[in-house]
Amino acid sequence: MKIHRIYGTMLRYVFVLRHNLDRVADMFYWPILDLLLWGVTSMYFQKFVPDASWLVLSIVSGITLWLMVWRGQYELPMNLLEDIWNKNLVNMFVSPLSVKEWMIASLIMGILKGLVSFAFAGFLSFILYQVNVFSLGVFLLPFVALLLMSGWWIGFMVTALILWFGRRMQALAWTFAWVLAPFSLVYYPLSALPPIAQKISLILPTSYIFEGMREVLTTGNIDISKLVLSFILNLLYLAISLFFLKKAFQKILRQGLIKLY
Amino acid sequence: MSVLSVKKLTKQFGSFVAVNNISFELRQGEILGLLGPNGAGKTTTIQMLLGIMTPTEGEIQYFEKPFPLFREEILEKVNFSSTYTNLPWDLTVKECLCFSSYLYDIKNRKERIKKIVEIFRLSNLLKQTLNQLSAGQVTRLNLAKAFLNFPAVLLLDEPTASLDPDVADMVRKFLLEEREQFGVSMIFTSHNMAEVEEVCDRVIFISHGKIIADNTPLELARSIELCHIELFVPQDLLKLKEYLKKHKFFFKEKNRYIRVDMKEKMIANFFSALAKEKILYEEVSIEKPTLEDYFLEVTRKKTV
Repeated sequence: MKIHRIYGTMLRYVFVLRHNLDRVADMFYWPILDLLLWGVTSMYFQKFVPDASWLVLSIVSGITLWLMVWRGQYELPMNLLEDIWNKNLVNMFVSPLSVKEWMIASLIMGILKGLVSFAFAGFLSFILYQVNVFSLGVFLLPFVALLLMSGWWIGFMVTALILWFGRRMQALAWTFAWVLAPFSLVYYPLSALPPIAQKISLILPTSYIFEGMREVLTTGNIDISKLVLSFILNLLYLAISLFFLKKAFQKILRQGLIKLY
Repeated sequence: MSVLSVKKLTKQFGSFVAVNNISFELRQGEILGLLGPNGAGKTTTIQMLLGIMTPTEGEIQYFEKPFPLFREEILEKVNFSSTYTNLPWDLTVKECLCFSSYLYDIKNRKERIKKIVEIFRLSNLLKQTLNQLSAGQVTRLNLAKAFLNFPAVLLLDEPTASLDPDVADMVRKFLLEEREQFGVSMIFTSHNMAEVEEVCDRVIFISHGKIIADNTPLELARSIELCHIELFVPQDLLKLKEYLKKHKFFFKEKNRYIRVDMKEKMIANFFSALAKEKILYEEVSIEKPTLEDYFLEVTRKKTV
C-alpha cells in the first residue's frame, strides 16, 4: 500500500468537488432540508405533547447522527460511478493503484465530508433549535464511529451491486441508505414499529445506536451492551459486504472492466 | 531480451472464444503492431495484458515476473493510452496530469509534468477542462499521461486516431525517439496501415481470436504477391475493359484510368497480351503490395 497513490486518488475526487458545486452543496443542502423539515415538524408536535421537551432534541440529534451513515455509504459508490460516467475507471486501474487503496481513499473522503456535514448540522441545530448534539458527550465518539462503520458496509454492498449488475443499479448509491432508515430508529423508538419491522430493526447495528442516543439524552447513560452488539453486527456485515465486493470485482474482471462503460 | 511474454492466452465468454490460445513475445525496444479486423480479439488481448480482464487460461509475464502476482511492481513500468478510455471530462489538463502522476512512483512530479506538457504541446491548455478540448487535444493528453511514469512497456490503442496529420507525425516521431533513447517497448494498434508500416518492427495479425501471422510489415505485404497496375487509356478503354472481364481480372476505372490487381509474376505476360491485342495506353505505374493489401486480402478471405 502506497500513501502517494491514496493521495492521488483523493486528489482526483477533490478536483471533482472543485468543478462541481452541486457536490459541495450536497454536504450542506440535505442537512439543511432535513433539519428544517423534521425540526419544525417536531416543534409543532411538541406543543400537543405534555412534558415533551426531549422530542426536538431527540429528532434533531437523530438527523445529525444519521448524516454519518449517509456520508459513509455515499462516497464509495459515487466515486465508482464518477469514474464509470467519465470512462476513467480503466485509467485508474491500469496504474499500480490497488482496489484496497482506491477504497481507502474513498473512505477517507467519506469521513472528511461526513465530519463537515456533521459539524455543519450540529451548528445549524444549535442556531435553529438550541439543540446541542455535543451534549451526548463522550458517547458521541463511539456513536459516530459505529454509524460510520454502518455507512461503510452499506457502501460496500451498493458498490458490489453496481459492479455486479452494472449501471442500472446506480440509483442505489443515493437511495439505499434511506431504505434502512425507517428500521434504524432514527426518529422513534423500537416500540413505535410494528412487530415484523421490529425484527428487522434488531438485526441492524444502526438501531442500537439511535436507541442508545435516546437513552443518553433522557437518562444521561447507556447500556454498554447496545454499543457492543452494534459493533459485532457491524463487523459481521462488514465481513459479508467485503466478501461480496471481492466477488463482484472478480466477476467484473472476468467480463472486463470496460463492460461497466 | 523479452519484456513481455504471453503464453497460451485464452479468453472465453461462455461458448464464444474471443482469444484462442495465443502466444507471443515483446522484445526490449521493439514496437509490435497488433492488427486485425473489428472483433478479432485485439482489445480483449490488451485488456488482459493490463490486468483489467482476467484470462480464462494462459500466462502473462512482464520482465520475467508473473503479471497478477507482481501487479503493482509491473504496472509502475507499464502505461496505456486508448480511444475507448478517457481522463475525467470535468477536470483541467493540469489536474488530470497532477492526480495521474501521484498514481505512480515518480520522482519530482512537477518537473516531469512540465516536461511532458512541453513535449505534447499542452502548455497553453493547462487550465482548460477536457470538455473544452478538441478530440486531437484529448488524444495528446492521453498520450502525455501514458508517458508520465517513464514506462518501459507502452500499450497504445490507436494512439493517433483523431489527430491532425502534422500532430500524428509528431507523435510517431516521438514514439520512435523514445524507443531509440530509452528502449521503450510498445504494443501498437491502429487502422492506419501506412502508420503501422512506418512505426512497427513486427506485426501480429489476429483473426477470430487466433494469431494467423507474425512477421515484419514488409514480409507480410510481400506474402500476398499482389500488385496494382495503373494505366491511362485515352482511346482503347472499352477494348481493355472487355479484355479484363474476359480474363477475370479485378479492376477499377476512374476518369480513363484503369487500376488492375494481379500477381507480380503475371505483369510481363499482361503487358505482352496488351501489345498483342493492340490496346494502346499512356502512363503506367506499378505499385508493390502494402500492409493494407495484406489486411484486405486476409479479412476478405475470412469473411468469405
